[in-house]
Amino acid sequence: MENNKDILNNTNNNYVIEIEHLQKSFDGRMILKDINLKVKKSENVVILGKSGIGKSVLIKCIVGLIFPDKGSIKVFGKEVTQMNHKELNEMRTRVGFIFQSNALYDSMTVRENLEFPLRRNKIINDKKEIDNLVYEALENVGLTDVIDKMPAELSGGMRKRISLARTLILKPEIILYDEPTTGLDPLTSREISKLINTIQNKYNASSIIITHDLECAKRTSNRILILQDGIFYAKGSFDDLKTNNDPFVKSFFITV
Amino acid sequence: MKKYLNNIFNRKKHKEGKKSTYDFKPSWLQNFLLELGGLSRFTGNFFRELFSYPFEIKEFLKQSYRMGLSTLPLIGITAFIMGLVLTLQSRPVLVDFGAESWLPGMVSVSIVREIGPVITALICAGKIGSGIGAELGSMRVTEQIDAMEVSGTNPIKYLVVTRVLATTFMIPMLIFYSDAISFYGSYVAVNMHGFISPQLFITQAFDPLHYFDIVPATIKTFFFGFAIGIIGCYKGYYSTNGTEGVGRAANSAVVISSLVIFIIDLIAVQLSEIIHIFSI
Ligand SMILES: Nc1ncnc2c1ncn2[C@@H]1O[C@H](COP(=O)(O)OP(=O)(O)OP(=O)(O)O)[C@@H](O)[C@H]1O
Ligand SMILES: [Mg+2]
Repeated sequence: MENNKDILNNTNNNYVIEIEHLQKSFDGRMILKDINLKVKKSENVVILGKSGIGKSVLIKCIVGLIFPDKGSIKVFGKEVTQMNHKELNEMRTRVGFIFQSNALYDSMTVRENLEFPLRRNKIINDKKEIDNLVYEALENVGLTDVIDKMPAELSGGMRKRISLARTLILKPEIILYDEPTTGLDPLTSREISKLINTIQNKYNASSIIITHDLECAKRTSNRILILQDGIFYAKGSFDDLKTNNDPFVKSFFITV
Repeated sequence: MKKYLNNIFNRKKHKEGKKSTYDFKPSWLQNFLLELGGLSRFTGNFFRELFSYPFEIKEFLKQSYRMGLSTLPLIGITAFIMGLVLTLQSRPVLVDFGAESWLPGMVSVSIVREIGPVITALICAGKIGSGIGAELGSMRVTEQIDAMEVSGTNPIKYLVVTRVLATTFMIPMLIFYSDAISFYGSYVAVNMHGFISPQLFITQAFDPLHYFDIVPATIKTFFFGFAIGIIGCYKGYYSTNGTEGVGRAANSAVVISSLVIFIIDLIAVQLSEIIHIFSI
């Protein structure tokens, strides 16, 4: 963690996220104890875990929204905890984050919500091109007809899909999904899972997907990690874990 | 709030590579000092972002427009009543002394120097300050501020700087408007007891007003505006504990900024006394 000088050494490996010995406490309560995670380029990692165990905290640490107490987080080979404002912004344009609560801007229409990341990053200034991208992003989630509505006028599932569209509009190289299918009907959930896979294949994107939805986990995961008591309790492919004999792991895969 | 401060401390500590766990239960004094420290740090952030490119002109204008428009009717009505009542109340005393012609002058001095700025600022603290606190508070708890941050927009710059600038410039204007309406209210009240022409009223009203009445009274309004904006933003920006926290943020934004308005007023009075003495 102290030797930040050997950043160059990391450029030749193909890990886009490397987390080592990450630790985070809130008010003296240790949420994350010793997290180690490496995500390869074009890999989908699914994180399972009970509610309130620290899944959201973990991915917020990755984008620098929460500062860890200890440990190292490297994104694209660069240490997040040592980045200055400019580097952080640069990194964040390449990392998409889908918030558990959607975090749509209430005071803006759907269109303005989607335009926001485009305009703010000055990637594109041409009005027509922005319109096209917005339309394309909405089409991806099947919601072109709500373009001029306010977020408050949408249903919960629609909001979730708009927030997906808003994140994906920048075509990020890493996407952190915080429960992308929660609150959606099975059909739409399936569509979202498919979309996650399409994005992985089309753009070679890497993802961390937090979910409670086993079908989504099964469809999207290359690897599954189970978070418990601040560490990754178990890891493996979906089928590995499904046939695992550990009672705790088993409890995640009980289906009706 | 404490969590955020701890987070800030941790950030620093982390860079120094030391161990960091802040788990103490602050007393009210520590709480007060923590709050004061947090507010100073926040104000520092505000000034740092204020002078950095790019300037969010569009958002600034939008906020100014919103604030102005939403408070105009309220301030208009209260200012009219204020001028009217103040005149009616002062009249009997002056009549007793046979100094009825001083009525417009006396009322105008109290309105311009004190009552107009303070009452209007208090109304704005209630209306604008709580609005900012609630808006930023709900943006915080629904993670909209985080979302802004991860989409490459500095929320301090986009949300805070624009709003604080908007209050700093709009509240003096609203106070000016309020003073004008109060004068009208006063004119109506004077006319209830016999006609006096607008020209005569204006001459009588402006006669006792000097530059050392108007200049300090104007300068302090900018500070009122700044205080309302920065406190509303601070409370909203660092609100915690879900929807309950939003209410608390809006509430404490009003309470604290009202208190600060009186403190600024006190300081302004002292300063203008000193300036007055030296200028004679
Ligand atoms: N900013 C914060 N300040 C203090 N405590 C926090 C903060 N963020 C999270 N926590 C605490 O950390 C713990 C983990 O929260 P987190 O949101 O990561 O849970 P989660 O695993 O995402 O749960 P869920 O599946 O319900 O979303 C919770 O107990 C929460 O109270
Ligand atoms: Mg969560």
